[in-house]
Amino acid sequence: MKKIYVVAIIMIAVAISLIVNAANDMSTYSTFSEAGSISHKVKIAGKLAKDKPMVYNPEKDPNHFSFFIRDTKGEEHKVVLLKAKPQDFELSEQIVVTGKMKGKEFIATDLLMKCPSKYKDEEVYIKGEEKKG
Amino acid sequence: MENIQYINEDLWPGYLGHFAIVTSFVAALLAAVAYFMATQKRNEPESDSWRRIGRWAFGTHGLATFFVIGLIFYLMIYKQYEYQYVWQHVSDELPFRYIFAAFWEGQEGSFLLWMFWHVVLGAMLIFTAKKWETSTLATLSLIQVVIASMLLGVYLGWGDDPTKVGSNPLLLLRYTMDIPLFKNAEYLKLIKGNGLNPSLQNYWMVIHPPTLFLGFASTSIPFVFAIAGLWLRQHTEWMKPALSWALFSGAILGTGILMGGAWAYEALNFGGYWAWDPVENMSLVPWIILIAGIHTNLVARSTGQSIRSTYMFYLLSFLMVIYSTFLTRSGVLGDTSVHAFTNMGLGWQLVAFLGLFLLMSILLMAVRYREIPTPAKEEALASKEFWIFFGSLVFLFSAILIAGSTSLPVFNKIMQYFDPTYKGRVITEAVEHYNKYQVYIAFFIGLFSGFAQYLRWKEPNWKANIRAFLTHSGAALVLACGLSYLTSLWIEMKIWQHWLVLISAYFTVIANLDYLIFVARGNMKLAGSAFSHFGFGVMIVGILASGVNKKIISSNPFMMEGLIEGADEMTARKNILLFKDAPMEMNGYLVTYLTDTLDGLNRTFTVNFQRKDKQGKTVETFDLYPNILYDKSYTKIAASNPSTEHYWHKDIFVHIPSLPEVEQNFELKKQKEDSLKYKPVTLALGQVTPFADALKMGNQDSISNFNYQITMESVDLQPKHKDYNPEAGDKAFGVKLKVQRNDDDRIFFVEPVIVLREQLVYTYSSQIDPLSAKIRLNQEAIPQVFSFEQELNYQTLELGVGANKKWNDLNVTFNGFDRQPKHPDLQLQNGDLAVGAKLDIRTGDGKTYQAEPVFLIRDGQPGNLKVEVPELGLHLRFALLSPKTESIQLLLAKSTPKGQNITVEVASDSLRSDYIVLEAILFPGINLFWAGSLLMMIGLAFSMFQRLRSKLSAQSA
Repeated sequence: MKKIYVVAIIMIAVAISLIVNAANDMSTYSTFSEAGSISHKVKIAGKLAKDKPMVYNPEKDPNHFSFFIRDTKGEEHKVVLLKAKPQDFELSEQIVVTGKMKGKEFIATDLLMKCPSKYKDEEVYIKGEEKKG
Repeated sequence: MENIQYINEDLWPGYLGHFAIVTSFVAALLAAVAYFMATQKRNEPESDSWRRIGRWAFGTHGLATFFVIGLIFYLMIYKQYEYQYVWQHVSDELPFRYIFAAFWEGQEGSFLLWMFWHVVLGAMLIFTAKKWETSTLATLSLIQVVIASMLLGVYLGWGDDPTKVGSNPLLLLRYTMDIPLFKNAEYLKLIKGNGLNPSLQNYWMVIHPPTLFLGFASTSIPFVFAIAGLWLRQHTEWMKPALSWALFSGAILGTGILMGGAWAYEALNFGGYWAWDPVENMSLVPWIILIAGIHTNLVARSTGQSIRSTYMFYLLSFLMVIYSTFLTRSGVLGDTSVHAFTNMGLGWQLVAFLGLFLLMSILLMAVRYREIPTPAKEEALASKEFWIFFGSLVFLFSAILIAGSTSLPVFNKIMQYFDPTYKGRVITEAVEHYNKYQVYIAFFIGLFSGFAQYLRWKEPNWKANIRAFLTHSGAALVLACGLSYLTSLWIEMKIWQHWLVLISAYFTVIANLDYLIFVARGNMKLAGSAFSHFGFGVMIVGILASGVNKKIISSNPFMMEGLIEGADEMTARKNILLFKDAPMEMNGYLVTYLTDTLDGLNRTFTVNFQRKDKQGKTVETFDLYPNILYDKSYTKIAASNPSTEHYWHKDIFVHIPSLPEVEQNFELKKQKEDSLKYKPVTLALGQVTPFADALKMGNQDSISNFNYQITMESVDLQPKHKDYNPEAGDKAFGVKLKVQRNDDDRIFFVEPVIVLREQLVYTYSSQIDPLSAKIRLNQEAIPQVFSFEQELNYQTLELGVGANKKWNDLNVTFNGFDRQPKHPDLQLQNGDLAVGAKLDIRTGDGKTYQAEPVFLIRDGQPGNLKVEVPELGLHLRFALLSPKTESIQLLLAKSTPKGQNITVEVASDSLRSDYIVLEAILFPGINLFWAGSLLMMIGLAFSMFQRLRSKLSAQSA
């Protein structure tokens, strides 16, 4: 057998083991009730509960921003993001938070949000600063 | 839409442009067909005429493409907002230098940029490729056909739901949305452009996209050569020109990717140069595969091995470029990427693009596979080619891992197509995931690129080489271990894998240096590879230093003391609150937020870093200027730009993730200001006045009591206030106050100011941030300080030129007339006669003041303009002039500032807003990363030039 084939077979074996291993890095979008029962980090996708308070008081703690999101199952929980409040947060359509449950709160270390694109909301700026849709 | 005769719309550029797009598409198609025929009939005389048609068609295609680009620029420069693309990317305020950036901000513009480079590269092939011209241009033209179809903007099919083919960049705005505005025939007068996204308004957006797209475009050249090689069965000949092009492409695409990293680092605020974002990944993958192709290409040219893999790598590299285009432009990445384009509905077209060239590659490869020559003798284990090939496999492996993980959203989509209940998977921690695997790739590449330099092609006699091999690589390994140990004193190796990577990186650095000096010995043909591998090693050390060891120095000091639980949460906390003028200790630096300035929409903060030695002497100090950009209405922050201090061995990077709410939104600031609950308190000069205020706190019913002691120390007739710019004619004063709150032992000195300017009153309040209190002067205080004209008791004083007289305790000297007097209230009209009297006024304690009251005759009526000496409370008028005796009559009056009872107003609920939220990061050794990666690109470019030179000298010989 050619040596190159040996190499190739070894590499394929490594590749398979890596891919099996990599599956641990992946997860499905979780829900709050699932997150409560597992200890590792999960991602939760949900919508911002706009009627609940959003609190960012940098004078007290610049790394503490709390808000409520409703997950795909409709369950609502308080989320604490250990970062500054992102710009345009109120406009977000969908939010993905990464973190763990801690008691009744979800402690998030990362947040991704999907905002209506600047161009998609089709606002035409009228001269003189007023907007018209 | 009804028939409206729109006013001022310029429609011809739209028609002309669309015509040019169609021309470009059709001409590319013709070029593809003609070049195909020219290639198929290459041994027949008619080939020449086919080639001529091909050239003409490709030329027409190029001109039409350039015309479309020029036309869009024209419309952008003249701000013709009737065109959607112009309206979307340009605005009246957009500086001209960003017109290019605006052009390629959108998908259509970037497709045009891609086509532009293909045209340029195609033209170069026409002039230089000789016998390869027809076969390469046939494929290149076909690529252009597909890209041009993305801009066609026509609908195919029948019925209610025809298929959209391409998106025309010259569409009118009013066709793209249905809003009442377009009922107005003169709508163009009303609208203004949307403009370039503020976070893209920097020079990187001007230079990064064209470089990156030249990189993408140039990967198609090795691709078309590979196709040509398979097509014409010239399995070895094609690789010579392909190699030079691949080296070119590798250098340019690599530079483009690096520029993206530099942009992210310099101007964006995620704090780093690489984030494993899908868009970044998918530009890296074609590059890695291309580099693998370059290596097997070298093997094939030297030994005849690896021809098949060279074919596959070059084919795959361009296919990956198309795949990356699909990923970033079809919307499939969804919320996993921060900077993918928005979906334009071209997904199926992009899939077809990929499918077409994938099928073409697979079919050709399959048909020709068996006839591609391979040497009967397999590579020796100790030969250079074996390990280079192995290295290329490692590259491929790296590319598969990156592309595979990045494609997870595609995999999810496919699974959901078959099983709608399938729950899509995501990578939980992307950065950790990618780093975990690429660490091994870096280790192997470092190792192979080091010792392969000591191996020989086709190893004819391993026994003769083994000694030299073992001494050199052994010595290099020992040195590498030593250097790694020294490095570990500087930066921390967090996991054992980092030790492996560090040693292998130093190993390749030393081995390639050794190779350059002792083996290549000035043989420039071999130097390029040594540069690149040396650069790779340096880059890896740079990544271990600046990436793995990047240190967030703005973490809360309390957390460092373990007062807040949770180590994992600790690392997530990156921001610190920095009050103005209150220094904070960060990693040995005293960091102080000094000032900020607002210039247009741009607000720049000055943050000072200072390091002191043990004696308290400042040994190092520098200022950083992070800034934020407000949106057009000053109601939110549109972009936050970092600022970095560069040292040779480290960088200190800061940016501002957040500001006090009222500083983010000026409308809110005004509202808050207006809603402050001011309460009056009357003060007497020199006395301590107590003042109590009770406030409801938050939404609870608790009430807070604030008790202050306020002392009015003096009345200041020449007041200073940070917001007050004195103008001539102002009547202004401030009161110097000493303020203390009973629950706080600090004493604050403030001076609120009030100004009377042309009947209007301006109040300048003083904020005491640490007490969240604000104090301003009440309007009623003005008459308390300034006596008004009617209350003044003027007395006359007659003076000749040069004379002086006493008035009360003042000595007044008349120094002469001023024929061109200046007075804030004096605006000379025709026929006016104005003259000033230059006066010196000396007080009892020897101070001298100058004043110049003005006498004015206007329309035959005498009049005068008063001056004041505010320090003395002296009012002066020049009432009469006797020309005969040259004497003047002055009116003088003195008003004493009363200041007995002055009312100020205090608000205890003024939230403090004198802080910034700051993130500061220390990047050790980041210059190693830049220098190393740049050296890699220089090595590639150097090899390319060496090859071109030897080609030229071979031709001239």
